[in-house]
Amino acid sequence: MKSISQSRNLFILVSLVIPVILLFLFVVYPSADLIAMSLTNWDGVSPHREYIGVGNYVEMITNSPDLWLSLRNNLIYLLVHMVMMPLELAIAAMLNTKFRGSNFVKTIAFLPFIMNGVGMSYAFSYFFSPVNGGFNQILTGLGLSGWIQRWLSDPKVVNYVLASVSVWRFFGYHIVLFSTGLTSISTDVMEASHIDGANALQQLWYVQLPSMRLVFSFVLFDCIRGTLQCFDIPFIMTNGGPGYASSTFTLYTIDTAFKYNSFGMAATMAVAIMVIVVAVYGLQNLLLKTVVKE
Amino acid sequence: MKKLIALCLTLVMALTMTGAALAELDTNVKATLTFATFDNEAMLLFDELDIEGRFQELFPRVSIEIEEFKDDDEYFKQMKIRASANELPDVMYLQTRYFPVFKNYMVDLSALEATKNNVMAESYALDGVVLGIPEKRSEDYVFYWADMFEEAGVSVPKTWEELNTVLETLQNYYGAKDPNFAAIAVGVKDAWPVYPFMEYAPASFSGNGTYWDLMATQNEPFAEGTEIREAYTKVYNLFSKGVLGADPLGIGYDQALSLFLNKSACMMADNSMGLAKIKNSGVDLSNLKTFYMPYTTEDGSFNHIVQGDFFMGVTNTSENQELAKAFVEFFFSEAWYPDYISRLASDSTMVTVHKDKDPYMVFADQEQPELTVVGYVGGGDDYTAIVNESKWDYCKLGAEMLMEGFDLNAAFDKLNADWSAAREKLGMN
Repeated sequence: MKSISQSRNLFILVSLVIPVILLFLFVVYPSADLIAMSLTNWDGVSPHREYIGVGNYVEMITNSPDLWLSLRNNLIYLLVHMVMMPLELAIAAMLNTKFRGSNFVKTIAFLPFIMNGVGMSYAFSYFFSPVNGGFNQILTGLGLSGWIQRWLSDPKVVNYVLASVSVWRFFGYHIVLFSTGLTSISTDVMEASHIDGANALQQLWYVQLPSMRLVFSFVLFDCIRGTLQCFDIPFIMTNGGPGYASSTFTLYTIDTAFKYNSFGMAATMAVAIMVIVVAVYGLQNLLLKTVVKE
Repeated sequence: MKKLIALCLTLVMALTMTGAALAELDTNVKATLTFATFDNEAMLLFDELDIEGRFQELFPRVSIEIEEFKDDDEYFKQMKIRASANELPDVMYLQTRYFPVFKNYMVDLSALEATKNNVMAESYALDGVVLGIPEKRSEDYVFYWADMFEEAGVSVPKTWEELNTVLETLQNYYGAKDPNFAAIAVGVKDAWPVYPFMEYAPASFSGNGTYWDLMATQNEPFAEGTEIREAYTKVYNLFSKGVLGADPLGIGYDQALSLFLNKSACMMADNSMGLAKIKNSGVDLSNLKTFYMPYTTEDGSFNHIVQGDFFMGVTNTSENQELAKAFVEFFFSEAWYPDYISRLASDSTMVTVHKDKDPYMVFADQEQPELTVVGYVGGGDDYTAIVNESKWDYCKLGAEMLMEGFDLNAAFDKLNADWSAAREKLGMN
């Protein structure tokens, strides 16, 4: 008969070993394979992979202008999301008051996040269509037909349109996250600050925001990761066009792999985006820590 | 009674033809054959005409598993992934532009009866190896509304210059009433719908179906005086006239088709698959007619691209290669192909099976009985390698031609530089 101690050790062993095996199988091994692939000129079909060292990395940095144009487009998404963040926070703060319909508003705002991204992108591509598109009809109805643009085909406009669709999709999600962060702050702390004479703005700035560092960190990371890996919205709404005007890093990577049969180079790009996400996340944490200390 | 006799004869003939080639195969073999397709039109027919049941008359214990993909783009992406994992289906379709990619995964079909009876298969062989047997003879047409032509006072264009004039006249006439009007509807947002201009124009104007392979031998294929430069300049000049509507870059293929069906566009360049969609739309087609895109040359030739399409091949990763070959033989035999091809808008590729042209496509032949047929090939190994290295995409170039501030000469210079650098890197200089 096994002792309790033996059973406990077995349980601990199994609890550790299984996740580690799964981690190696589904994270470490694919990542290592990806890095190994990035050092080859594999075409994705041939059984042979020729090792070419860091050739792909050099090529990517020095001779891929369209890739960097695509990354710039990703940064537009990030910028637009960042600009909208204070508004998301303000709405979350408003919903966190004793407003009766707050749960209903949160549910409605959260709906776009749970909608199928592909279907939503299709719907918006018709909404912004130059032929009988809903958005142009609304503008015309409001007597603002002079504002009508080539929403999906003007390189100066298209990325902002796509970014706004992305914001529409994630707006409610961020509101719910911020709202949860605000709810988690102890009422004692809020009451104490009120007794000390802090007004609502001062409470937000000196009490609520510093207490929500973790939520901020998560929302920021989610924004950075999401915008740098953005794929479905530009793929369905514009296919990255016209030209590469609305292409994103991931879209360009997929084209490189499947259209131009350069899986080695595509793997290099995948490694690069991983490094960029980690680097930006590190920088973001550093900045947040500095701000909180101040 | 006559029908019954004819049916029996057909069945006997079918069994004899396929049976002769398959004599050495055990007809009682038990297996499942996987067959991948992206032909939306044919997918329905496979069920309706019961392809599995008919094949089981020859091999009762063989089941057919059909893997369906929504379009060629998704299909070939999946096939590339599966090729790398040795997980290709037993039978798959190819297009000529993918021959260089999949040639090492395909079985040579040159010994099959189906190959011998196919009018195109051997002409597409790579170094004598038949990678696939074309199921359809594919041609492109310009579909147009005859009543709209009549109202605007234009007739079917017979030269490229006339096409320009007709398109401009239509755009001016109908565009004045309808701001969404396009003389020719092209869903450029999807990029690929510009293929009749960007993919076919160089081969058509030059009369050289293997133009891509010629380009692969040149260091600066877009230099002054080259046929592709002249062809693309003609296309650019046409696009610049605004005949594709107010914002062709903002609409995709489906929206362009919708414009055409609603008569907010007079013309649409497409093939038999497009015709199937037009027929299924339910709109009144009494004024629908066709003509061939007039890729005319200075010497008066009217060049017209024809190619084999949907090349059915057997993969060498298949565990049932002989059975898969038997399936190909069956597919192109009397037991299946005549019924099947008669239900599609495309033409037959088999000498054994005659099929009358679709009535809508007969109009094109009536308009242009004299033309020079150009057999089109999608580009060989060298061309594909250069394209992959230089990331040259003719459809994207076509879309860029419609962007504000596009500089055609600068684009040619860049293409030359990229092409030359790719050739140098690949050791082709």
